[in-house]
Amino acid sequence: MWKELRHFFTDSHFRKRRDFLRSLPVCKDLRDREIGYLQQSLHSRTYHEGEPLFLEGDIGRALFIVETGRVELSKAGQDGKPHRLALLGPGMLFGEMALLEQMPRSASAVAVERSSLLLLYRSKLDSLLSRHPVVGVEIMTHLAKVLSGRLRRTSDDLASAQGATAAGPIVEEMEKADD
Amino acid sequence: MAVVAALLLVAYRLHEVLVPFALSLALAFLLNPLVNYFEVRGLRRSHIIVLLYLVVFLALMAAANILFPAVSAELDLLQAKVPGYYQKMHEILGTFQEGVLKRLPLIPAEKLSGGGSLKLYQPVLEQLPKVPSYVLSLVPLFSLLFLVPFITFFVLLDAPAVLQRFIQLCPSRHVEQALHIFSEVESSLGNYIRGLLILMLAISVASYFGLVILGVNYALAIATLSGVASVIPYGGAVLGVVVGALVAFFQYNNIWVPLQVAALFIGIRLADEALLQPFIAKHSMHLHPMLFLLALLVGGKLFGFVGLLFAVPAACVIKALVVVAWDWYTSETQTAPREAVAGARLPYV
Repeated sequence: MWKELRHFFTDSHFRKRRDFLRSLPVCKDLRDREIGYLQQSLHSRTYHEGEPLFLEGDIGRALFIVETGRVELSKAGQDGKPHRLALLGPGMLFGEMALLEQMPRSASAVAVERSSLLLLYRSKLDSLLSRHPVVGVEIMTHLAKVLSGRLRRTSDDLASAQGATAAGPIVEEMEKADD
Repeated sequence: MAVVAALLLVAYRLHEVLVPFALSLALAFLLNPLVNYFEVRGLRRSHIIVLLYLVVFLALMAAANILFPAVSAELDLLQAKVPGYYQKMHEILGTFQEGVLKRLPLIPAEKLSGGGSLKLYQPVLEQLPKVPSYVLSLVPLFSLLFLVPFITFFVLLDAPAVLQRFIQLCPSRHVEQALHIFSEVESSLGNYIRGLLILMLAISVASYFGLVILGVNYALAIATLSGVASVIPYGGAVLGVVVGALVAFFQYNNIWVPLQVAALFIGIRLADEALLQPFIAKHSMHLHPMLFLLALLVGGKLFGFVGLLFAVPAACVIKALVVVAWDWYTSETQTAPREAVAGARLPYV
């Protein structure tokens, strides 16, 4: 009886998406209601196989979350051919740099198969930050951690590629700039 | 461009038909946060809207039983006293005219005497009996009272699905841009409409209590009038001062109470400027007073009373579109990379 009543009053589609969001690292410290606020700020779109989400050089304005399907991130090499950077599956976030600054996309994203994606826009994040700061701050903290992790990896890759520490050349360059 | 021009022309031709839809859209903007409040708790949108309508209907019924008799009693009283006020105004103007004639003999007597004793005020006095017909011309608006809630119901219910359909149909590479425009317009317009309602309510309540404390008649009617007129900047204060001071003058036959009424409305206006406006303007679109006035004049000229009603929200939408278009233009056409944020050149540790 209680189950039927609950089913009658609650939105099963909304519940399913909330369960999906709860499984993401960005939402692990959020309560149901707070996830609900985030959910209302997200837009969803289904992309067909081979359909581009954005191309390298497009101005980015949103963060993408893969709900179902797979998305390939690629970057044009010096030969002009696209080189795969990553293949992203359900629960993965990308395009977060667009939420921090409106700069051209550094890579292209194409749906490898029929995929459903959730989009979070900068204006919606601003609204979350002012109206529901707990949710906004949680997202910003997560983004900062993601960017920090990627920067750490990039620094390590750079160091191993140059056979030296990453700090060396950057400090030299700064000293030159100061002169 | 041609499509936009064609749409504007159609909107101009059909503006009377589009009024209920525009009003419904505004009402939907107003009610949407309430629906969202319950939706985040996992409740079905359709059930929330039905329950909301039920609650609003019951609240209106209760308000009608309490407020309508009070307002209609005030209006009946006002109607009964209007001839007396009219006569009194004649006497006051006559005395004023005699005083002017005594003090300023330079004005030719024939201009102010005889049958033309009230010539200067004649146009105003001629318009006074026509006031009921002006009020009657607003009657078609009352038919909207039935149409607007009906359309609003479907706007509230189906808007998310329509938006979802639009996103799906939009070419994938332009989805980001289209949704950016939509969210900018939605947030500025929604906040503007909600802010306006808060303003109207706050001014009405403050005026009512102020007038009751001063013991001025028709406090509810004057406060409501002032609250509604506050849609136009300074409109509420000006109307409140004029109507409130006139009523107080006829009621008390002195200048002291009308001055107090004027001080009350000026005080409310200042409090609104200091306390309410910063709160309302925080998230809503800011329109320069010149643009505000221009929007009202253009709206009034093109669409009459309806145009006045929708001029400012329309100006907000146009400004949001211009801001987004400029933002898009500058970000798409920039050739040099933007400067990195301060501290970005420091080594990562």
